[in-house]
Amino acid sequence: MIHTVQSHSMLSLDRVTVKLGQRTFGPFSFAIQPGERVAVLGPSGAGKSTLLKLLARELSPASGHAGFCQQPLQGWSLADLSRRRAILPQSHEVAFGLPVDLVIGLGRVSRMHDPSLASIVQQAAEQACAAHLLGRRFDTLSGGEKARVQMARVFAQLWDVEQGLLLVDEPLAALDPGLQFSLMEAIYTFAAKRGHAILAILHDINQALQGFERLIFIKHGAMVGDYQTPHVTLPLLEALYDVNLACAVTEEGEMIVAPSLQRKVVAEC
Amino acid sequence: MSAVAGAISLTSRFTTGLLNRPVWFLWLVLLLCFWVAAWAGAVPVTADDWRVLWRHEEPLTSGAYVLWSLRLPRILFAALVGAVLGLSGALTQGLFRNPLADPGLLGVTSGAACAAALTIVVLAGSGIDIPIAWRFWVLPLTAFAGAVGVCLLLDTVARWLTADSIAGLLLTGIALNALAAAIIGLCTYLATDEQLRSLTFWTLGSLAGGSWPLVGTLSVLLLAAIWYVRRLVSAMNALALGEAAAAHVGINVRHLRRRVIILVALLSGFAVAWCGVIGFIGLVAPHIVRLVVGPDQRRMAPLAMLVGAIILLVADTTARTVAIPAEIPVGIFTALLGAPFFLVLLTSVRKGG
Repeated sequence: MIHTVQSHSMLSLDRVTVKLGQRTFGPFSFAIQPGERVAVLGPSGAGKSTLLKLLARELSPASGHAGFCQQPLQGWSLADLSRRRAILPQSHEVAFGLPVDLVIGLGRVSRMHDPSLASIVQQAAEQACAAHLLGRRFDTLSGGEKARVQMARVFAQLWDVEQGLLLVDEPLAALDPGLQFSLMEAIYTFAAKRGHAILAILHDINQALQGFERLIFIKHGAMVGDYQTPHVTLPLLEALYDVNLACAVTEEGEMIVAPSLQRKVVAEC
Repeated sequence: MSAVAGAISLTSRFTTGLLNRPVWFLWLVLLLCFWVAAWAGAVPVTADDWRVLWRHEEPLTSGAYVLWSLRLPRILFAALVGAVLGLSGALTQGLFRNPLADPGLLGVTSGAACAAALTIVVLAGSGIDIPIAWRFWVLPLTAFAGAVGVCLLLDTVARWLTADSIAGLLLTGIALNALAAAIIGLCTYLATDEQLRSLTFWTLGSLAGGSWPLVGTLSVLLLAAIWYVRRLVSAMNALALGEAAAAHVGINVRHLRRRVIILVALLSGFAVAWCGVIGFIGLVAPHIVRLVVGPDQRRMAPLAMLVGAIILLVADTTARTVAIPAEIPVGIFTALLGAPFFLVLLTSVRKGG
């Protein structure tokens, strides 16, 4: 893991706002260093996905400056951008029932000449626990299998890149806890090895607390907090979600939170 | 005994080998169809006629004459038009991410036919004199313009409705087809007898106009299209991920859509301009190919051309031989076969979804 703050940041937002219909989101100001793991938390409809769309360049900023690797984000060509950052989407549908190998290989479609495509597809599938799915049709897969294949596609996209950016949009919410855990582990391993930064939108507070070193809070369309994970306290989370939370600390010292009706504090945090 | 067994095993190996290589198999079928189509017809052709033609003997026999100036250009034209229709169908389905999309059903062909009909009647009515050299291109270009118009409209509507709603697309297609039918009807009403004859040709679809210059032009067009499509097909695969994800992997979706739309309009526009509305090839051919080799556009698009060529060649040969000496317009034929196929496809898609 690269903890040292570099002289330059990989992704930087400076008072960026986005307009979506009548609503204005932002301003967002933060910077992400290579190798950092950042989770975005906030209630539904707060603008988390809008922020991700801004970073994915589906939306363009209405004001402010968004930079990626020392260049304005808007100045990147889509093809060049796709070789530095990948997005793991929320939905997994693929038309026509393409074969799994092809779907994974599509992560690298912007490379004109790609001699190692086949071996990268194979390795990416292994890393995403999807190697046994190669050769099948995408539309015959279960939800969990589709998630793995999409993850392998994203891995293939950034396989031979260093210090890229991985944007993750709550892709695992519908999966069982065991699979969620192993897939998140796969993402961490993949990113750590190459110095990729991860920015993930999460609904699961515990996943964010345990797996990410920095949390960004978003509420009512604006950024309300940016904390290193050890500095996050229960009142901050309660204010974010407007809900009472109960908290327990495991023997390893990990904080586990859950919503509660009466505020019952098991252990002081 | 062993010789027989060897021959059988060789034959079966040859057959499975062919089936594993659909391209060779389809080429073989296409050549076979050419062979049959060249022999079939109102005027009987003998081996002698072929020899006369081959050795450039003078005078030409009547069979050789029919073969050279009518039948050969026509069957080549049929195959080329079939390939064009198959390719434009494959591209349309890839573009709209849906196996039910077809230039005919979506109104693209009607748009082209409508523009062509307007040109025939209005141009003739206005008395504008077009130089002979240009006449060859006037109808294709106006048909192309009509097709582009409909395509752009469809693309807008497809975005305006929910992203993947084929129902919305097909409904728009119905509206456009109705509009085109009304305009063609109006043209029919206003047309003189002479214009009426060529108008009927648009609505029914016929390959009787096939000639060597058309074969040459269409070959050039098709080769250019193939060369152009080769660079688009991988990107079109990415389109299956959805527009957002395609952009994430580095595809400029807006450019891609525009290019594919222009190409589809060009292909269907030219096909319509020279042989009227021939429906369902663009729907059936890619579907058959997808069943056999899967949906990878890189394999699907070229094979859809071959299958389209075969289907239209078979349909046209049947259309001109089934009621000798009369000839049924081939558009009627493909619709008779294609419409039930579409219904079957509709139920299977419904089950799948």
